[in-house]
Amino acid sequence: MHIIVRNAKCQGHARCWSQAPDIFKLDEDGYILPGNINVAERDEFLALRGARSCPERALEIDRSSDHITNDGVS
Amino acid sequence: MVGDFSLFTSPGMQRIPNGDPHEAVARVHAGPPIFYSPDNTRDGRGTWLITRAKDQRQVLQDPETFSSNRSIFASALGDDWPLIPLELDPPAHGVFRSLLNPLFSPKRVIALEPSIRARAITQVEKISASSNSCEVMKDFAIPFTVGVFLHFLGLSDERLDMFVGWANRLLHGDKAQRSAAARAILEFIDELAALRRKEPADDFMTFIVEAEIDNRSLADKEVRGIGVLLFVAGLDTVAAALGFDLAHLARNPKDQELLRSEPERIVLATEELLRAYSTVQMIRVATKDVDFEGAPIRKGDYVSCATMIANRDPVEFENPNTIDLAREDNRHTAFACGPHRCLGSHLARREIIIALEEWLSRIPHFRIKEGTAPITYGGHVFGIENLVLDWS
Ligand code: SF4
Repeated sequence: MHIIVRNAKCQGHARCWSQAPDIFKLDEDGYILPGNINVAERDEFLALRGARSCPERALEIDRSSDHITNDGVS
Repeated sequence: MVGDFSLFTSPGMQRIPNGDPHEAVARVHAGPPIFYSPDNTRDGRGTWLITRAKDQRQVLQDPETFSSNRSIFASALGDDWPLIPLELDPPAHGVFRSLLNPLFSPKRVIALEPSIRARAITQVEKISASSNSCEVMKDFAIPFTVGVFLHFLGLSDERLDMFVGWANRLLHGDKAQRSAAARAILEFIDELAALRRKEPADDFMTFIVEAEIDNRSLADKEVRGIGVLLFVAGLDTVAAALGFDLAHLARNPKDQELLRSEPERIVLATEELLRAYSTVQMIRVATKDVDFEGAPIRKGDYVSCATMIANRDPVEFENPNTIDLAREDNRHTAFACGPHRCLGSHLARREIIIALEEWLSRIPHFRIKEGTAPITYGGHVFGIENLVLDWS
């Protein structure tokens, strides 16, 4: 599973980070770092919860396994 | 297109004993997604009123069409300067947000936590040592939140009463009291800025007078816009939320018991309380004519996005009028959304969590004191007064 991060939409609510600080990393201002997030299977529950907590809809859940990122945190 | 609902004049919005203004606003969801509310600001101006969470999100995420530039505070004084960053639009808004964000970041709030908690403990212990009952707003919620704010500004608690007096007159006074209070706040901020220019300290105002944007220091007007906003924003919103939360727990013994026996639930429960008892109405100004869901919004029209309405939207929240302290996936907008997401949101959240934790661990089972009735009201910032709790 991947989380597509739409940085332009992030307004620094930090809700994702508060659910899963190891998955959703913030910058010094509290806005999410750029780059889509590659989620390991064991982290999926928390990642989903974090993504669903974003009031801006800046985090999109992507289940197409062919999606490739190289900056995952898993 | 004209509706008969207003946050100021509708049933449940005036000061009434034992009211539930949040439930009263929820009735707009039976009506259209947008309508014109002829008397929906403090000075009786009309606004378009957006009821659905999804539409409010669209408005608040689109500052180009829906501007924040209103100079409300200054216009009450016959001046014209914006509260910063609240009344700025992009791109100027972003410049000031970048300057201020680090001061209010989640990390910064973690660093502030011990002193906030110590303050809460002192306050609650003073109450529990002296009585079996108290008026929560006056004895706890206001001194605690204003105290946190004064400390943040770098001021001592001695001024607390003076500040609370200004705040009360600014928010609830008549026109003359409001502008007198606004003047007093303004003079205070200007003087504090002048003092910190001469005698820097390790505090917020020193940071502001020494700050640079685009390789220049801030103009007096900008220092003032930031200082006054911080003052106004930090004053009553968190206290009001805390009042509604404690009133809820007093009236719902099961919820109170749940948080008492499992205090680790307080963090999640706070999100539900923020959702259910949101306190702020946001207003935007249309920068051009737009048709919104069939409504002819014209350039210059006011558009209201009331958080307490979005957060009771049944499309967004299952059973929105049921307060479920274990609710998950709670994407409420108590702190708004879009670029103007409340700068102080992380601090405010933490204050509420800490206050509930320390209150519940030090005050035994409490209820509304028999023979008393809390008074609630609607308006720009919803509030509660005369909240007498009793644990005898
Ligand atoms: S919850 Fe959304 S807005 Fe908030 S930090 Fe995460 S991505 Fe950004």
